[in-house]
Amino acid sequence: MTTSENISEHPAPTAAGYVAVWLALVGLATATLFASRAVTGGWGLVVAFAIAAAKAVLVIAYFMHLSGGRPIYRIAFVVAVAFLVLLVLGILADVGTRSVASSYVDDLGQAL
Amino acid sequence: MTTSIDTTAHPGQAPTGGPVAPSRIHPRSHRGPKATGSVQVQYDSLERQHATARLGMWVFLASESLLFAGLFALYAAYRFVYPVQFHAASAHANLVIGTVNTYLLLTSSLTMALAIHATRRSHRRRTVALLTATIALGLTFDVLKGIEYAGHLAEGLAPGGYYAFGALPARGVVLYVTLYYLLTGLHALHVTGGLCVLGWLAVRAQRGDFTPRSHIALELGGLYWHLVDLVWIFLWPLLYLIR
Repeated sequence: MTTSENISEHPAPTAAGYVAVWLALVGLATATLFASRAVTGGWGLVVAFAIAAAKAVLVIAYFMHLSGGRPIYRIAFVVAVAFLVLLVLGILADVGTRSVASSYVDDLGQAL
Repeated sequence: MTTSIDTTAHPGQAPTGGPVAPSRIHPRSHRGPKATGSVQVQYDSLERQHATARLGMWVFLASESLLFAGLFALYAAYRFVYPVQFHAASAHANLVIGTVNTYLLLTSSLTMALAIHATRRSHRRRTVALLTATIALGLTFDVLKGIEYAGHLAEGLAPGGYYAFGALPARGVVLYVTLYYLLTGLHALHVTGGLCVLGWLAVRAQRGDFTPRSHIALELGGLYWHLVDLVWIFLWPLLYLIR
């Protein structure tokens, strides 16, 4: 018998707590909309992605109760997310260092 | 034969040695225990059984994330190679529907979380109402998505070899368009699957299957629905908000 039996699986957020998380999510979504107009180019993608990540953390931690559950749930999910990030970064590193990539750019840019 | 131990007898206690009293064991059909309060024979408590179910669900959600990761990786690669084309193509995405759908799914995650909260407080009617609201929001999402697809197809913004959009040359743009259909289509399939699960959960909630202590099916269905919301949280900026 481990002590994990005593860990509360759910810190049981109140209904008001859930509504507060939802308000934060709606606020962040609206912020994404404004940011997409204010910040353009490469930084626009960074800002949009950072806000999306913040929203994801809110949903996972509070709506999905990952913050209050057993550590093993976090291990299972966070490891998968880590591999997901590795996959995308590895592919970007590959594509980004191919000299041939530059030759694709911008027939449309000139056409516009 | 599948047997299950009635939880009314000492839940949370490990079975003591020796034969279990016959009254605590009752044979079931091969479908296993139906009542949510039943502990299957390999677990010594309902809590442990639920913890295992939750872990299984998290592993499943992890595999779902990696399924989408393949397409996200493809998107990252092609957007890196064709930044101007992706920018130009996304200007033709339906930002209004995409944004409305974002708020719909965020709100449906709230109603889902509140449905589970209501079950924990023994509010059966409220649970059913909140599940129904979640289903209505998800259905509206699917309908709007269908309207969006119909509009794009009418313009010739079709995937792969069916691309016939006069305003933009196909090269690079068609990759965005194809990924748009693949990503949103796979996501819409998940929404639709989630809606079926939610419908089944609403029927069970109405039937009184869920108790404050035992409602693991509702909880796992909720986790799946939140994942659908999570995927959209990333799809929306990547497909609609390129500036």
